[in-house]
Amino acid sequence: MPEAVFHTEKLVKTYRTGGAEVHALAGVDLDLYASELTVLLGPSGSGKSTLLNILGGLDHATSGKVMFRDLDLTVQSDRALTRFRRDHVGFVFQFYNLVPSLTARENVQMVTDIAPNPMRAEEALERVGMSDRIDHFPAELSGGQQQRVAIARAIAKRPEVLLCDEPTGALDSSTGVQVLEAIREINEDLGTTAIVITHNAAIQAMAHRVVRFQDGNIASVATNDTRIAPSEIVW
Amino acid sequence: MHALDKKLLRDFRRLWGQSLAIALVLACGVMILLTAFGMYRALDDTLAAFYERNEFADVWAMTEKAPRPLLSEISALPGVQTAEARVQEYLMLDLPGRVKSATGLALSLPDTGALPTLNVPLLRAGRLPDPQASDEVMVNEPFAEANGFEIGDTFEALMSGQKRRLTITGTALSPEFVYAIGPGTLMPDDESFGILWMPQAMLASAFDMSGAFNSVTLSLSRGAQEDQVIEALDTLLEPYGGTGAHGRDEQASNAFVTTEIKQLKNMATILPPVFFGISAFLVNMVIGRIIALERAEIGLLKALGYTDLHIAAHYVLLAGLTAVLGVVIGWVTGGLSARWMAGEYAQYFKFPYLIFNVSYDAYAISGFLALLTAAVGALRSAMGAAALPPAVAMSPPAPPRFKRSLLDRALSALRLSQPSMMIWRSLFRWPLRAAFSAIGLSLAVAIMISVGFFSYSINSIADIAFNQSNREDIVLLFTKERSLSALEDVRALPGVMEVEGELFTPVTLRNGPLEKQLSITTRGAGATLARSINETGRVVEIDGPGLLITTRVAEVLRLAPGDPVEVEFMSGRRETYTLTVAGVTEQFFGLGAFMTREAMSHLTRSAPQISVANVTLDPKEDDAFNRAIKDTPLISGAVRVTDMKASFDATVEENISIMNGLFSVVAILITVGLTYNSARIQLSERARELASLRILGFSNWEVSYILIGEIMLIAVLAQPLGWLIGYGLGHLMAASFASDLYTIPMVLPPAAYATASVVVLGTALASVLLVRQRIDRLDLVSVMKTRE
Repeated sequence: MPEAVFHTEKLVKTYRTGGAEVHALAGVDLDLYASELTVLLGPSGSGKSTLLNILGGLDHATSGKVMFRDLDLTVQSDRALTRFRRDHVGFVFQFYNLVPSLTARENVQMVTDIAPNPMRAEEALERVGMSDRIDHFPAELSGGQQQRVAIARAIAKRPEVLLCDEPTGALDSSTGVQVLEAIREINEDLGTTAIVITHNAAIQAMAHRVVRFQDGNIASVATNDTRIAPSEIVW
Repeated sequence: MHALDKKLLRDFRRLWGQSLAIALVLACGVMILLTAFGMYRALDDTLAAFYERNEFADVWAMTEKAPRPLLSEISALPGVQTAEARVQEYLMLDLPGRVKSATGLALSLPDTGALPTLNVPLLRAGRLPDPQASDEVMVNEPFAEANGFEIGDTFEALMSGQKRRLTITGTALSPEFVYAIGPGTLMPDDESFGILWMPQAMLASAFDMSGAFNSVTLSLSRGAQEDQVIEALDTLLEPYGGTGAHGRDEQASNAFVTTEIKQLKNMATILPPVFFGISAFLVNMVIGRIIALERAEIGLLKALGYTDLHIAAHYVLLAGLTAVLGVVIGWVTGGLSARWMAGEYAQYFKFPYLIFNVSYDAYAISGFLALLTAAVGALRSAMGAAALPPAVAMSPPAPPRFKRSLLDRALSALRLSQPSMMIWRSLFRWPLRAAFSAIGLSLAVAIMISVGFFSYSINSIADIAFNQSNREDIVLLFTKERSLSALEDVRALPGVMEVEGELFTPVTLRNGPLEKQLSITTRGAGATLARSINETGRVVEIDGPGLLITTRVAEVLRLAPGDPVEVEFMSGRRETYTLTVAGVTEQFFGLGAFMTREAMSHLTRSAPQISVANVTLDPKEDDAFNRAIKDTPLISGAVRVTDMKASFDATVEENISIMNGLFSVVAILITVGLTYNSARIQLSERARELASLRILGFSNWEVSYILIGEIMLIAVLAQPLGWLIGYGLGHLMAASFASDLYTIPMVLPPAAYATASVVVLGTALASVLLVRQRIDRLDLVSVMKTRE
């Protein structure tokens, strides 16, 4: 068994909205392994995004424990979490979140400017097949192209983990496939641990493991013996 | 360049309209600070240099006639460094090609042929008169220029009843006459008032002053006590008709110039903070909104590993760029306007040169203040942005919580349309923002009112001074005090219709430790030409033996009608009496006190005397009258009230319209800064809402109404507050301008308020309409699709 990159124990997250308490995570125990591509599946509100945010150091857990290797994320200060994100984590969001006033290259440079051991922005964009659109602004790119730039931005720092929240959620099937292709390549070529959230069940076939969420808890964990290439996925 | 820095520059470029609006307000603060400071510095430095290089005296004293040997006693007084005696006389002048008479102040030059040691005239052209000559004169440069005199030109002067033709040998400027004001006038008039430097021998023989002097000037040694020197000098001069020595503070030219400098200094400290305050609010409002719009980007930056400091700095820098733009505009315009204004002042005041040192500290201070203002304005929002947890930042903000309140029930009861309801609700949901906008706009109104009142005040001053108090056409100045029979000589001059006499007597008024030197004006009972007017515009008659004083004297000496006041006469028998304050009268120029001729005569146990004659003229006989007085030995000068009013109007009106124009621009910039930014922010906050209304079938203008309505509602609500602040600020300005030279009454008719409101509301409307155009261009589909 490869070593665990993330390890959670009885992880709980509750939100208080108005007078009511909502349990977004209700005691999650999970291990995620190095170089693994994991898909988190589940309906809206099942807790997968909350988990991803906590794993990525974007949010604090209410109780329980999250370990990133030997680092206990639950006891880290905001400053330390910032450091953690900067050094180890790449994010890809459903709505790309590119800075509209920066070109594709500059969006990637935002990361390479502050990361300790980045690849060149051009190289990152080449990996996602965006070399020919390097000086375009987000408004001049299609949704799939924007998402590929977002992935290039996420991998440019050579992160240990790549966290993707609904990366194809806003895309049609064919551009979605290009994006998934890019994620798979990063995972295989660089050995980056990838965690992909989706509520599109078709995507699970490309994963090493599939974790299903229901009501803030893990419903099931399945290992794919045979994975298929993204190009074979249709939805 | 880092990617974040590129974002900064591009954001700045995208926001140029809003940034510029803020930058201009900041630039106003910087510019006014630089201009006022630069002018103040330039005047102060120039004055100091001129005084030092040309040995401006410290103490002045006049006597009727003192023997020359007394000078060595004066020189020996402790604290006196240099003492210089001279002969000083007012002369009636007859200038070639000029029908009206002019007045000259003749000052004697030393017999040695050298320049005086104190108040040294700076030779501008030609040479000094020959000490032995009996027809040579050096005049002050402005007088020569105003009358088109060249070296070698001649004019006539009436000296002790004898007309003498004088040849101009040179022109000069003197530290004593930087602001050269003739006897009995309010403003400098270089055409009709000149300074004449003449050889001692010539002047002394004409006025029976051989071996004597009637004017003495002193410079003091370091550490000398001025008041002790003045007291000792007064004691020495008393037997010779000394009228009381005074220091630089009461030297007319110096008093005017230093008052002006003081006002510039006040302006440099009072006004800029207003602009910086408004800018800070604007920056806060705009950066706050940008941050609200960029929540997701902030979340992203945090997700990417940027620190709180990075993010806060990013937005503070965005404000910083705006500040830099404002500072640059302010520095350039302020630097230019300081230099230009200083040049104007140097001409207005007669300086031989202008010392304009660039005050680097003023640049540094104004730049620092502007940057600080922007930083303070941005910091709170930026810190707030940095403090957002990234996961929260990336999710859309919760919709503002509108709750039903008592107010809503009241609004519902009014049965307002839905758009009107939206306007009111939004106002009450963000009361702080609305309040700050209103305060900013009210300051724009207030600034206009606080300056606008000057023109009304000046009109009122001119009306009281020239139409009500001084209704004579001409004031004739006698060479010395005369008996009432002199009035008959004046009445005999061609064209004279009415004649009244007045006597000016120098005195010191005392109330306990408070004292003031001034002249008591003595008039015949029931005088109709020169009269005293009270604050309600009524004529004040003096009843009995009391003393009527002006409001400024009443304030300074803390006197009220019925109070006793000690009066020490500075001429004649120099007796001291205690009189009763009979009443208070309004007078905006100088200090004044009034008595009836009967009371004065009774008090001094002497026959009534007069020193001036007030005359009304038949306009047809004007030329004949002017020719006649030039040959009348008993007259040393003539002051034309109508000319004075004209020159007063011209000088003051010009200054005031420049100032009104400047402050209107300032008020407009503030209004644009506030309303344009508010409208842009409203539009961006409400784009979805407004687009929804458009989709529901509201017309462009119905939707625009919501945008225009809220901002104009705030603007209208700001008006009463603006009027109130303007009234207060105006009082403050009037008070800061008040001096012994003049006071400015607070006259604020409704028109002053209306003008300010019309300008501000009009500007606000124009600014909102500019933003409103964007509603026409709203892309309904894309607005609705954009993620909140």
